[in-house]
Amino acid sequence: MAGVLVLLTIGLPWTGALIVAGYNGNNERLQHGLAVVFSVLAGAAGLGLLTQASSSVTISLPAGGVFGDFSFVADGLGVLLAAIAAVIGSLAVIFSVDYMKGEAQLGRFYAFVLFFIGAMAGLVLTSNLLLMFVFWEITALCSYALISFHNDDPKAVAGGVKALIITQVGGIGLLGGALLLFSYQKSYDISTFLANPSVLPGNILALMAFGCLAAAAAKSAQFPFQTWLPDAMEAPTPISALIHAATMVNAGVYLLARFYPAFKDVPGWSQTVLLVGMITAILAAVMALVATDLKRVLAYSTVSQLGYMVYAVGAGGIFAAQFHLLSHAVFKALLFLGAGAVIHSVGTRDMRQMGGLGKQMPLVRTVFVIGALALAGLPILNGFWSKELVLEAGLVFGNTNGMVWAFGVMVFVAGLTTLYTLRCVWMVFYGEPRGHLHGHDAGTAMKVALVPLAFGTLTTWLLAGPLSQLLAGVPAFEKIGLDVQSTWFFLGEVLGAPATLITLGVIGLGILTWYMRSNLKAASRALGGVSWAAGNSFGFEAINRAVVWVTQSAAEELRETQTGLLNWNVAGILAALVIVLVVLVVGG
Amino acid sequence: MDFALIVLGCLICAVFAIRTQRLLISALWLAGASALTALLLYLLGAPEIAVIELSVGAGLVTVLFVFAINIAGEEIPIKQSIMPKPLAWLLIAAAVLLLGIMVLGPQLSRVLTGSEPGFAAILWNDRLLDVALQVVLIFAGVLGVLGLLSDVKKISKDGNNEH
Amino acid sequence: MSINAVDLVVILVLGLLGVGFYGLLITRNLIKVVVALQILVKGAMVALVLAGNLSHQTNLGQSLAVTVIVADTIVAVIGLSLAVQVRRHFGTLDIKSLTTLRR
Repeated sequence: MAGVLVLLTIGLPWTGALIVAGYNGNNERLQHGLAVVFSVLAGAAGLGLLTQASSSVTISLPAGGVFGDFSFVADGLGVLLAAIAAVIGSLAVIFSVDYMKGEAQLGRFYAFVLFFIGAMAGLVLTSNLLLMFVFWEITALCSYALISFHNDDPKAVAGGVKALIITQVGGIGLLGGALLLFSYQKSYDISTFLANPSVLPGNILALMAFGCLAAAAAKSAQFPFQTWLPDAMEAPTPISALIHAATMVNAGVYLLARFYPAFKDVPGWSQTVLLVGMITAILAAVMALVATDLKRVLAYSTVSQLGYMVYAVGAGGIFAAQFHLLSHAVFKALLFLGAGAVIHSVGTRDMRQMGGLGKQMPLVRTVFVIGALALAGLPILNGFWSKELVLEAGLVFGNTNGMVWAFGVMVFVAGLTTLYTLRCVWMVFYGEPRGHLHGHDAGTAMKVALVPLAFGTLTTWLLAGPLSQLLAGVPAFEKIGLDVQSTWFFLGEVLGAPATLITLGVIGLGILTWYMRSNLKAASRALGGVSWAAGNSFGFEAINRAVVWVTQSAAEELRETQTGLLNWNVAGILAALVIVLVVLVVGG
Repeated sequence: MDFALIVLGCLICAVFAIRTQRLLISALWLAGASALTALLLYLLGAPEIAVIELSVGAGLVTVLFVFAINIAGEEIPIKQSIMPKPLAWLLIAAAVLLLGIMVLGPQLSRVLTGSEPGFAAILWNDRLLDVALQVVLIFAGVLGVLGLLSDVKKISKDGNNEH
Repeated sequence: MSINAVDLVVILVLGLLGVGFYGLLITRNLIKVVVALQILVKGAMVALVLAGNLSHQTNLGQSLAVTVIVADTIVAVIGLSLAVQVRRHFGTLDIKSLTTLRR
């Protein structure tokens, strides 16, 4: 049963992608309908998988000796992310019915979205590291294709190319790790590796660990790769919600969590992961505070929250990281889709021209506020519970490893999060209208997508118990002491922890700062230098631009080798033959 | 002794086939190389192949070349090669030397013993798939040539390249 | 050092391969390209027959060589008819002026 569901979760979206891509007619409603049907079916299959999680191999397709078997294991961690990808994918597709109404080339759009959903499910469900790399690259390809969907807009194309190059640079780390694993273990199987990580000698294991960290950091837009995500906001907003908030960027966190039991003993690895998460969180929070583009604020907040998750993984709180992943996927998708409704109705992304839109868009305002409160970490909403668990895990780790100051920074970031969230909500929905914008409330399809997400934001924290059951079923996590607990246990833990009180205090400070902002003008002028640096993303933008420029100019130079002349092509063949012969003769 | 002469002759024919500037002469040298190769194959104990090589290589292909060269017409050959000659020499020398080291190093001995099924038996029983594929190839070749050469009339009318 | 017959044939194979590749590297005329290909394949075929000879499987070697000859002849046929058409369309057989891969 589980095997069938796995194949359905991957195969249904891919079949849908083929059908929608191959459709040549003009019936727009048919395209919308087909995409919705396939994505909803995939969502159902993903949810069904949740009930069938088991840590044994569910499906194994033999692929010859070189690649090992293409095996899929529907264990707790995998089905969690697969279900998130499929369900939020279907909601994003439903949202697109309204958002992309009347757009050209819908076939291309839906085909790539469905292709992506299937690839993401495959990425988290497979236990063959090479196959995971293939799915990784497929998601990067779909991300690029969808960011540059409006390929007549040079900013969109530049954003897509940049995202592609930066995530590919990280992908090299993953490929290197896969090849290293194969050369020592003679197979790509992740489960056998996790059961016995010592099959790799110490320094090779460290290489693989840091390679995977680089790949995860690039994919999840962590320090120092964080600048591609804000530029990816040129994509249509449902794409931003799906790919760049709820699913693809979680692939990096998934990778780190999956391999944590094997890498945690590599000296310096946990601390590096924790630091990467922390630096990212604070950098992104500061940049979100000064951004004026609505989607950029949300993008920076995504990066910052991913920093929380990475920080949690580094501190050993795998459950906390995955719980926050679940909460974040739900409320961030909600926020993005809400922002999409706003942008679709007023036609601009600039927050300085918005204001007072709450009166014109009551439903969107309500759901957006719910999502924003979850992001800020106010009690009762799912963001509060998961963020507190993350901070608590960080505090425990900090106490035993002398890194309590990292915990302090993260609490400060929680306050910053509250501040920029309130700023964003205020600038868009409250106050007096600054521009002359006419908004209308969300259409039906948008509402159908937004309301379940809002409901989820209010309730997913109740799933803590079942979530721990899922994760504890993964053999590798059992080894590091992840037990099955009930929801009440976690709630009690959060409410009783010292970290909670500190954080609530800081959040309160954040709210206070916002309301007294006019009194704090002097302070904000003093910090003006920081805000200018934040506006320029602390120089990372320049570095990433340089990387992209180097890659593209190298590609242009290498075009010279494609001469089209027979003589040079034959020379190439001969040169390759000589190299092979040298290897054979010398190697004996 | 006879082997050495044949080998030498074949190599000389091949070299001259490449070196000469005139296409017809090149085709004739190629025919000579084919004939000598056929003789060599016969001496190696493969008479059927020798016959096929003689008739196809030295006969059919040469006629084809003469046809094509006559239709295409000779043109003034350009002597300057695109690639610098020393580079070509270097690559060739490296490849041939390495291959020679690999092949000539171990002692290859020539022993003819035992019996095996006849040529026809092997061809039509074991290698039947090969024969089928050869038939497919011949069909493909004929169709390709027909398609290529039938273009002639259309081209001279509208002067546009369609293939 | 006595060179036996097998070594001579190997030298022939190497020589034909070398000359064939050299022709492919140097020539600028399409028809000469086909000539060079023929020489190259001739070398490969002799190698096949030699291998069959050495492993007491002459007939198997011959069967494989027949396939090679047929395939090679078809290649020559199509290559030559392509050359004829190229001559008609572009007016020249020089491969340098035939390349259209531009920046």
